[in-house]
Amino acid sequence: MNHGPLIFLGVFFALALSWFGLVFEPQLQLGNAQPTTNVVNTAELYPQRRPGLAKQGLDVYRSLGCASCHSQQVGQTGRTYDVALNDAGTNRAAVVGALLKVMPGATAAELEKLVAGPVPLKVLKDVTRAVADAAVGKLEPTGAKAEVNVIPTGPDIARGWGKRRSVAEDFLFDQPVMLGSQRIGPDLADVGSRLPVAERHLLHLYNPKIFEKKSVMPPYRFLFEKRKIGREPSPDALRFNSEFAPERDCEIVPTDQAKALAAYLLSLRADAVIFETPMTVAVATSTNAPAVSTNAPVAAATNAPAK
Amino acid sequence: MNSDPNPSNRPQEIEPIAGSARAPVWLFVLVAVLAFWGMGFLDNHGGGFDPLVYKPYKSLAELKADQPRTGNDAFRKGQKVFESYCILCHQSTGKGLPIQYPPLAGSDWVQAKDPGRLIRLVLDGIQGTITVSGQQLTGAMPPWKENLTDEDIASVLTYIRGNQEWGNSASQVTPDQVKAIRGKMAGRSTAWSPEELLKVNENE
Repeated sequence: MNHGPLIFLGVFFALALSWFGLVFEPQLQLGNAQPTTNVVNTAELYPQRRPGLAKQGLDVYRSLGCASCHSQQVGQTGRTYDVALNDAGTNRAAVVGALLKVMPGATAAELEKLVAGPVPLKVLKDVTRAVADAAVGKLEPTGAKAEVNVIPTGPDIARGWGKRRSVAEDFLFDQPVMLGSQRIGPDLADVGSRLPVAERHLLHLYNPKIFEKKSVMPPYRFLFEKRKIGREPSPDALRFNSEFAPERDCEIVPTDQAKALAAYLLSLRADAVIFETPMTVAVATSTNAPAVSTNAPVAAATNAPAK
Repeated sequence: MNSDPNPSNRPQEIEPIAGSARAPVWLFVLVAVLAFWGMGFLDNHGGGFDPLVYKPYKSLAELKADQPRTGNDAFRKGQKVFESYCILCHQSTGKGLPIQYPPLAGSDWVQAKDPGRLIRLVLDGIQGTITVSGQQLTGAMPPWKENLTDEDIASVLTYIRGNQEWGNSASQVTPDQVKAIRGKMAGRSTAWSPEELLKVNENE
């Protein structure tokens, strides 16, 4: 060993370099991240701390190993732009004139009908940012209110798993962060806004086959208590349709753990518009159909609670 | 000779020593090429090491430019300035009020080919009887050079000149044009009269 110091230094620098790259630099970048304001609603801070029950649910989620089959990170590969006319203003002739320049191949008569019709009106779809900005620049001086819509795209977003990509900000208050690595089940980063009803989650935990015939998820029956109905049925008891219901005189009541887990799932929402992920939130009256979730039909008509 | 039965008395084996050999040239070239590629990759995919930049964005500037907003910034800003300073007299319709406050919609003063006179009257104000689109009005407009920046004046003039909702479609005004005239008229402290202003060349 006549090269001892050299080997030591070589190993030391290799380890130091990876420590700097993988630990120190990320800590510098994200270590003192603070909640930011929601771009759409600037008075609202994002993210908010999870409510107490949901925080307990995080521990249940962790202990049951949900993260080994469900990821919580939505990817994004690109974005497209639409131009929407939100208000046609008072000078219809000028708006039609500007639209003629903006929309190739449309006739004045068609456009007049369109402008008189309901708003928001999609003027351009799937264009580049430069084209969209130029179109808005032409429309605005006519008194019309036009807007460039930013729409995140990617395979995960097409599946309906989220509206935008996940960013570090989304996990600010989680300890530990349940990113997950395998996707045997669907991604859960935005499941709270996709399926906003607690009982839907409880039924799914009790028997995943209720909503998805081919589900490979194990049923978590031990989170529920099957008991004889006493004088009156429990208000918490799950409401089944006939196929999956227990015996007539029995009821299925979720335990505290199950309720906490459902509260946690409801709190998983990554839909705030923040600076890192520009997007335009669809207006309620917009023609954008809500993305269809592949693995879980939202309208589980027969099982949905009455209220 | 070497027959001593006690092993500790035998001569000890010499400890092996690592020699040195010349590294092949191609290895240095390979390392250099890899380092170059790595730096290029970081440059393209690192987002400038900014914590706010995520894929698919490549830099903070690109991300900033992509925030949802309306397109024509000068026009939109001009509308804000108009709504805070001008709307009281000239009205949201741009038609002004009869006898006292002149209309901007369809006005020959507003839609002049060059905005020289318009910039002057906004900077120092105007007083007297003015004829706008054949209509005679008597009134006064205060000077705005203390309250509004070059950019404010340029954008509000862009707004009133290009407002197609009012039927106007004259060219934009740039902050540089306002700055130039503000510099030339720095010594002036009195309001213009319409006759005096008409003597000024439009494009100066």
